[in-house]
Amino acid sequence: MVTQNRNPARLKGIWRGKDQGRVRRLGEYLFVAPAVVFIVLLMIYPLIYNLYLSVRDVNVGTFLSGNAPFVGLQNYEQVLGDPTFRHSLLISFVFTGASLLFQFIIGFALALFFHRPFPGNGVMRSLLLLGWLLPLVVSASVWKWLLDGDYGVVNYLLQSLGLVHGRQYWLTNPDTALGGVIGANIWLGIPFNAVLLLAGLQGISESLYEAAKVDGAGGWQRFRYITLPQMRPVSLTVLLLGFVYTFKVFDVIFIMTGGGPATATTTLPILTYNQTFQFFTFGTGAATATLLLIISLTLSVAYLLLIRREEAT
Amino acid sequence: MSGEGHAGERQFSRRDFLKLATTGVAGVGLMGTAGCGGEGSSSQSNGKVKLQWWDYWSIPSQVKGQKALLKRYMKTHPAVTAIDTQYVPFANMDQKLLQGAIAGKVPDIAQIDDASQQSLAATGLCADITDQIKSWGQVNEFLKAPWEICRLNGKYYGVPWTSNCLVLWYDKDALKKAGVKPPKDWGELKEAARKLTTSKRSGLALSAIHSEEGTFQWLPFLWQSGADIPNIDSPGGRAALQLWVDMFRDGSISHGALNWTQPDVAEQFIHRRTAMMINGPWEIPSVKEGAPDLNWGVALLPKGKQRASIYGGENLMITTGSKYPGTDWDLIRWIKEPENDKFFQKLTGNLPSRKSELSEDYWQKDPVRSVFAQQLLVAKPRAYGPKYAQISNVIQDAMQSAITGQNSVAVALSQAQKEITPLLPEPMRKK
Repeated sequence: MVTQNRNPARLKGIWRGKDQGRVRRLGEYLFVAPAVVFIVLLMIYPLIYNLYLSVRDVNVGTFLSGNAPFVGLQNYEQVLGDPTFRHSLLISFVFTGASLLFQFIIGFALALFFHRPFPGNGVMRSLLLLGWLLPLVVSASVWKWLLDGDYGVVNYLLQSLGLVHGRQYWLTNPDTALGGVIGANIWLGIPFNAVLLLAGLQGISESLYEAAKVDGAGGWQRFRYITLPQMRPVSLTVLLLGFVYTFKVFDVIFIMTGGGPATATTTLPILTYNQTFQFFTFGTGAATATLLLIISLTLSVAYLLLIRREEAT
Repeated sequence: MSGEGHAGERQFSRRDFLKLATTGVAGVGLMGTAGCGGEGSSSQSNGKVKLQWWDYWSIPSQVKGQKALLKRYMKTHPAVTAIDTQYVPFANMDQKLLQGAIAGKVPDIAQIDDASQQSLAATGLCADITDQIKSWGQVNEFLKAPWEICRLNGKYYGVPWTSNCLVLWYDKDALKKAGVKPPKDWGELKEAARKLTTSKRSGLALSAIHSEEGTFQWLPFLWQSGADIPNIDSPGGRAALQLWVDMFRDGSISHGALNWTQPDVAEQFIHRRTAMMINGPWEIPSVKEGAPDLNWGVALLPKGKQRASIYGGENLMITTGSKYPGTDWDLIRWIKEPENDKFFQKLTGNLPSRKSELSEDYWQKDPVRSVFAQQLLVAKPRAYGPKYAQISNVIQDAMQSAITGQNSVAVALSQAQKEITPLLPEPMRKK
């Protein structure tokens, strides 16, 4: 572009005939370029590098020297054969499943609530988002204190209500630690679900409800036969995004329990972190990360297929 | 420090330089010296040397102490015009160094945790300084433990900078009230902790968290039992873990300890939520500041079959990518000279590891420092090869699963043994 400006004669020529289309296309490519550069540098390259690491025996001794031997799928075999991985996979699914279920139900209920006009609705809705806006370090630390066995507010409340006796160490008891981090994560995810679902609700045409009313449909019937089916695409999107987002949650768990007690809350992201940055076994760490990616990717593809079918009908 | 001695040093360092270049210690080190051969020698006279330095000091007294120390060096070494220090959070240091090494951006000198030394050395990140250390010839004037961890396969990759170890802290008033004396052995510890436990206060606080800090706190007990990591599944190992399990079971230690870092443990002590705690000298300033009217003392860790504590501390390493390995070594050696070392350790409240310094009144006559100085003599290093982090993780799993009752002590340790043995360096493995 710069050279064109320097030479007006050439510039004139370019604007004539065939060249005109080419230049316009060049302009279009230039608009796409920043996005492409961004994706290639920050997403494709790390992804490929990760795949590269996952098929090599990269450990403390070979990481910097760069001569890590090619080992094929050995890292994957090792990871898949490791009971720790299978345990973490299970924990990851329990964590993600339980988080999604409750985030979605509570988010949906809140969305329905905020869908009706009432005084202070706008203010309340903004306040709802505050939890989502807080840095994760802050909310996770607060939850850690709330659930503390010796001075936690949760214990205090439950004890005052007579629901528990004695001190409950929620985050250091292997039976309740996972529940504790799930609880915190549900709280963190509710605003996201509520806001997206609310947008979905607002997109449903009012005339549908009016027609149903004329036909004599009651409140439950309107919800069951209009709201739910109309909300299907939005719900699918919310659940898919929620899955991808929750499956890779690291910070909440890392701050609250560090993956403990023992391995009670060691999800796949925590395991990957340990392998890579604690043990320096970069090869197996990369293999675990790739498996994590494959799981998320499989679900995304399934989602795209679902959406396509949805649109076809 | 006399000017004469100083000139001697300079010569010495230049000789080191040449030696490094001719013998070619560490490939990159060689390139470094060859590349700046002219620059390096001129740096000794009138050239300019700017050193990059990474550290993780965060407590104000330590930050100030380091600044004063480096300023002192530059005053007497005009060739070094600047030492650019960069703070890297403790937990990120190893990761940052590795990332930096890939990107070709590492400092000349870095402060690292002693427990990371061997695994970082195995990555090839630390310059081999065996020859420099041998011609320096002062290793024997220090305690053994800190140097053991600087060595991997018979070669030196770092220099111990500051030292610490764990001791038993106690609330004098609480002990007096309960009619308890500072416990001297495991039996007394258990009994004292139980007697000191009330509804508002636990008897003992320690860190059993799922991180290196948890391992750091339990290893002294393993060693006190006479066992060691290579034979963790042994009567001694089981007794050491059972001791902790028992104290958690009878309520002498809060189950919250499974999630407490060592600073969290100090908080418990400061707020009188515990009568005793296990902690290191780095907590002295925060305890003094947080609880000025707390009447506290320190004692040696209770004895099992034998006395033991854990050696912790900071090392200084020269990176293989450093542009001025000769100057780096000159600076580190200067830092370890008794006068400069004492200057720094006193400013920052750390312990020296040079025997002659430890035997001075400053560390022998003070009621608190003397206990640390004495305990340091039986502090063992975590020198278990480059896979120590993995070994430590296995120990954390065993420890936490036994404390929370997921596994019995025997099952937890026999599982741990199976995982640990292949992670140990060959000569350490026992059948």
